[in-house]
Amino acid sequence: MALSIVKLRLDMSSALKAAALAGSTAFACLSSIGLAQVPVKEPPVPAIGPNLTVAPISASGVNPAVPVMSVQCSLPTKEIAEPSPLSNVTAKIEKDRRLKILAIGSSSTVGVGASDRSKAYPSQLEGILEKVWKDVDVTIVNRGVSGEVAAVTAERLLSEAALVRPDLVLWQVGTNDAVSHVRVEDFEETLTNTVHLLKQHNIDVVLVGLQYTPKFARDENYIEIRKAVNRVSEAEHILYVRRYQAMEFIARTRANLQMMADDNFHLNDLGYQCMAEHIAQALVANLFVRRRDQIAPQRPPTPQPAAAQ
Amino acid sequence: MTHDATPHGLAKDAILPRRAANEIDFWRGFALVSIFINHIPGIFFEAWTYRNLGVSDSAELFVFLAGFSLRFLSESRAENLTTVRLFMRLEARAFTLYAAQILITVVALAMLAAGALYFETPLLLQWNNAQAFFQEPVPTIIGIAALTHQLGYFDILPLYIVLMICAPFIVLLHRRLPSLLLPLSFALWVATLVSEVNLPTWPVEGRWYFNPLAWQFDFVSGFVVARATGLGSVARRHLTALRVIGAMIVAAGLATRLFDWSPNAFTVPEPHLVFVFNKTFLTPARYLHLLGLVAFFAGAFDRLMRFDVFRPVGAFFALLGRNSLHVFCAGSLLSLSGQMARFALEISIATDLMVIGVGIACLTLVAWLNEWRSRL
Repeated sequence: MALSIVKLRLDMSSALKAAALAGSTAFACLSSIGLAQVPVKEPPVPAIGPNLTVAPISASGVNPAVPVMSVQCSLPTKEIAEPSPLSNVTAKIEKDRRLKILAIGSSSTVGVGASDRSKAYPSQLEGILEKVWKDVDVTIVNRGVSGEVAAVTAERLLSEAALVRPDLVLWQVGTNDAVSHVRVEDFEETLTNTVHLLKQHNIDVVLVGLQYTPKFARDENYIEIRKAVNRVSEAEHILYVRRYQAMEFIARTRANLQMMADDNFHLNDLGYQCMAEHIAQALVANLFVRRRDQIAPQRPPTPQPAAAQ
Repeated sequence: MTHDATPHGLAKDAILPRRAANEIDFWRGFALVSIFINHIPGIFFEAWTYRNLGVSDSAELFVFLAGFSLRFLSESRAENLTTVRLFMRLEARAFTLYAAQILITVVALAMLAAGALYFETPLLLQWNNAQAFFQEPVPTIIGIAALTHQLGYFDILPLYIVLMICAPFIVLLHRRLPSLLLPLSFALWVATLVSEVNLPTWPVEGRWYFNPLAWQFDFVSGFVVARATGLGSVARRHLTALRVIGAMIVAAGLATRLFDWSPNAFTVPEPHLVFVFNKTFLTPARYLHLLGLVAFFAGAFDRLMRFDVFRPVGAFFALLGRNSLHVFCAGSLLSLSGQMARFALEISIATDLMVIGVGIACLTLVAWLNEWRSRL
């Protein structure tokens, strides 16, 4: 009990610091794209957005000048993900000029039909990443099954990861556990254990969070599962693509864009495109943060590189 | 499994007299109830099924018993299966299973669609691998018909269909060269584990959840030990010794669960599928655990049936097991109903108890109706 109070205080203080740091950048960022009137409700996180496009092309071949996000999907980077080191991915890109990604999890990992394959988010992601890293060979192995709960996926994920030996796992997780009312503690434990194992074996993990639907905006279970994904990503220092926030943000600000299909029932192609772009943005931004710190050694080292902006 | 009575899981839909409970039907019914509960993720009672007490689960038992039953059917005097009749009979059975798979898949998709409309929740359309159908119906309906698109938890019948299509060849091989069947099956299993080959799924990129190339070994093992000939006779003669080994395996399985231990897929030596716990490839640990369970519990049914208290329980599971295909199909749809009920209702142990209670009552009704209908 005492321990958790201490932890809570620590969380609070770091959140406050982050808020102070992020507040100004977030505002600058938002006003620069004309969205400053939109209230930012989510817990503030360090932003890395504005500097992204002015950086030189780094030694790793990461070309941050290449725009990752199209106009209709663009939103402040802070809404998408919190930066965290992707050391294996960086090393692999620098050393071998190749990157193998295992995309696994639920729902929109589906790559349907030969003619429609390019619409699925992993294929779109592959395209974007190969554009950003021109001489890097990106392979994405798609092992998506829609509607699995994390416990089922975790077992499959570990054995597939051992077979495929990816440098990076993109794990879309949470929606179905929330909807199936899986116990939050069980969910969190599964997630933590699996992420742990992957990290132990030099595989970077990116968690892709829950889908946003207006219907579940206030669903307690949905919120709890989202919090759990957030907790795990923070505790394990892994990249977490906040799909929910990103989608919610777009829904709030660009309601006319038909992000959801006409029947509001599933993401249309634009939805997948945005998701791929958001994940790509998060990956590229992360690698860039790391590179920039190496290029500019005079900057004081900080535990959260982006927070220093 | 020393009992020699004919199990009825494979019996044709002829007029059936009321039959006494037997061991195979009992365990089959037991496996069916376990499958029904295991397929409602998050439910309180999920923690109570026997997969939480060891490495293997009801799927291994179900497929093993299917092989076991095939042996009885193929050697049944009443059936008098010549080669031609054997092919006709078993391929017809495979077709029945296929029809059942298509039926439950379509009903499941309709249930998800109805749920999505009623609850105004698009998320339901993504459950259990259904999304591809609603998003890209043109390729997906081909995949459903070709069994390369399987809904989550609706993936065991495709395995059973493939096994049943191959069943006449298994029986023929056993008739001509009985000593070759198990070694061949074993070789295919090992080759699959080493090569990591599996059937692809389409249009969703992935692989079969139950790899038939690996799971055939479970099926053939059941077939081989079903009768007191060859390995089956060796097993029966050394049942006491096997039971001791079985007890040790069961205890080891229990220990892995209690201490939450499993082999680390990344650090085990190659070929790594030989050493890990993997359901898709029926890895050796899962297979051995199943054999341990079978050896340990063989004959337990007959002993238990001597107790009056157990008899209704035995009769209940055997009723379900006798009507296994009907109960399995109903169970698949009831699991999905259970998932949806848990989605719609306030979650508590009482809700979960209700979901399980209604589900098992419906399963019982389906089994009873099926027998009553055939007695009319």
